[in-house]
Amino acid sequence: MPLISEVGRKQRRVRILLGVITAILWLGVALHLFPVWWMFITSIKPSREVFVFPPTLWPKEPTFICYKMFFYLAQTWTVLQYPVYVYLKNSAIMTGAIMAIQIPITALIGYALSKMYNVKWNRIIFLFCIGTLMIPTQLSLVPGYLIMRHFPFPTMHVPNIPFTNVKFPSYRFLDTYWAVILPASYNAFNVLLFKGFFDGIPGELINAARLDGASEPSIFARIILPMSKPIFAVVAYFTFQTAWNNFMWPLIVIQKNELYPLSVMMYRFQNYMTSSRGLIVTNEATKRLLEQGIGFNGLMTLGIIESIPVFIMFLIFREQLMTGIKLRGFK
Amino acid sequence: MKRLKEKSIVKEKRGSKFIQRWAWIFGTPAIITQLIFGWFPISVAFVLAFQKYQFRTSPFVGLYNFKLMINNPIATLAFRNTLYYAALSIGLTFLLPILIAILLMEMKKNVIRVMMILWFIPVASMAGIVLWKYFYNVQYGLFNGILTSLGFPTSRWLNDPHLAMFCLVLPGLIMFGPGLVYIATIQSIPAELYESAELEGASVWQKIWHITLPRMRPIIAMMLILAVIGNLQIFEQPYVMTKGGPNMVTYSVVMYVFDLAFSGMKLGRATALAVMFFFVIMALIIIQRRYFRENIDI
Repeated sequence: MPLISEVGRKQRRVRILLGVITAILWLGVALHLFPVWWMFITSIKPSREVFVFPPTLWPKEPTFICYKMFFYLAQTWTVLQYPVYVYLKNSAIMTGAIMAIQIPITALIGYALSKMYNVKWNRIIFLFCIGTLMIPTQLSLVPGYLIMRHFPFPTMHVPNIPFTNVKFPSYRFLDTYWAVILPASYNAFNVLLFKGFFDGIPGELINAARLDGASEPSIFARIILPMSKPIFAVVAYFTFQTAWNNFMWPLIVIQKNELYPLSVMMYRFQNYMTSSRGLIVTNEATKRLLEQGIGFNGLMTLGIIESIPVFIMFLIFREQLMTGIKLRGFK
Repeated sequence: MKRLKEKSIVKEKRGSKFIQRWAWIFGTPAIITQLIFGWFPISVAFVLAFQKYQFRTSPFVGLYNFKLMINNPIATLAFRNTLYYAALSIGLTFLLPILIAILLMEMKKNVIRVMMILWFIPVASMAGIVLWKYFYNVQYGLFNGILTSLGFPTSRWLNDPHLAMFCLVLPGLIMFGPGLVYIATIQSIPAELYESAELEGASVWQKIWHITLPRMRPIIAMMLILAVIGNLQIFEQPYVMTKGGPNMVTYSVVMYVFDLAFSGMKLGRATALAVMFFFVIMALIIIQRRYFRENIDI
């Protein structure tokens, strides 16, 4: 509305311009939705139709045969050793735990930084909390792995307690959910978001409550929390997305098939189906799969299954998301 | 008078021991987790980079790892690929969300609403990557299907060394959409500015150039920094789609760090490479901050 004035909208040239803009925008929407739709129709194609060349735009005989992967597998084979719901459960546990740990921790420090610390400490704590934001995460890839191998020692072997032959106590987090959850228990970006939001709440409100004799936890729980639903929604949605899409870290720290999250499973599954050159591998196991009617359609089924929770989260947080971001921007 | 007195009491209270104690209680979980999983691994990295990681002991070897990495042709190649990818990706796709956000504001309120909802329907990232790999598939993919039915010769897409890098950027180019942050910024610009510009007879482009863009400048600068950092850390797309091939033209630095560490168990070298990567990113951020300041002077 701001650029093209209401008065001029009747002119022919302006109307053509508006028409072009509208067309571009709807094209963008269509291109954005097309992959989702393609993923869906491929997932309900029978496997022989997937390999029809050129590809069809709507399956001639839609079938939900691939979705049976979700509950059971007809034959055991090396990649998908368990039905898909196992991997979905893994993803859900990891994501849920990360959200349950990360959001309260970062909300509390965000509030403390915004309203509680005195000037002397505030600067130091703030830099301590967000200083890791500019450092690429790959730097802590190897050390993080070593720490997870025998927590908390980032060495090849656990050192002995000085002057004895006894090793320090250590814990092996590899191949457990904790290996994925713990490193994600803190997030500097969330702190920034929370602090930015809490800075916008007037300090008088809190001081008035303090004068009335309210304790600090009850101020946070009774006054601040009810006001900050939008920012919690934004942070929850971002945290969910990051945790759900987490790929590299689970790939490193989890080697057990039954603990893989869906993203890693999907990678391994597609790896199995196609070689790096993009051709279908014709080994024995793949042939058996294809006989069961699972090919690219199976892959796309996994994609749909993986995307559904993200979509549900989007529906839940949609309204809050739009207002929450409008409120503060990213400052 | 009474109010003033109250205020001073409050001020005293914020600095008071009591509130400070609660501040530390509120902050401790975050400080501990940030220390263990944030700063500790990073500081360990700077030690590891100077060690030769062997099975029994890990002796310090000075700059040996760095020398090895600097003289390593694969590392050089990976750095070149990564910079090329970041430049290509930012050059082709960074401005699109800004432009689309500006154009979107011309629509009617309810149209904006519908479009935004459709635009932000999400797909899990791995699902998206695998889907695009399927699009590019030489034998059964959609793109070659379209090319054939239109009578064009098919392309080899991800298998073509000249095209592979572009194929990794293409999803961002085709699936263009507005940035949520930009929309938020544009909506916060007061409408009076545009009205007064209109009275003076400013054209559409003048309004964009002189009002919208200067107002968006701080957020654009910040998003650019984030985009540079994010694009340099490219890993998943090449790792899943091409495995670094063909002829290693899509082999990125992070992939090399990953391979060195977890396929070759060359932990010292991998960390040294990561440290070098860290300094490259820092240098780029500093340069960017110098030439593209965030503060605006209207």
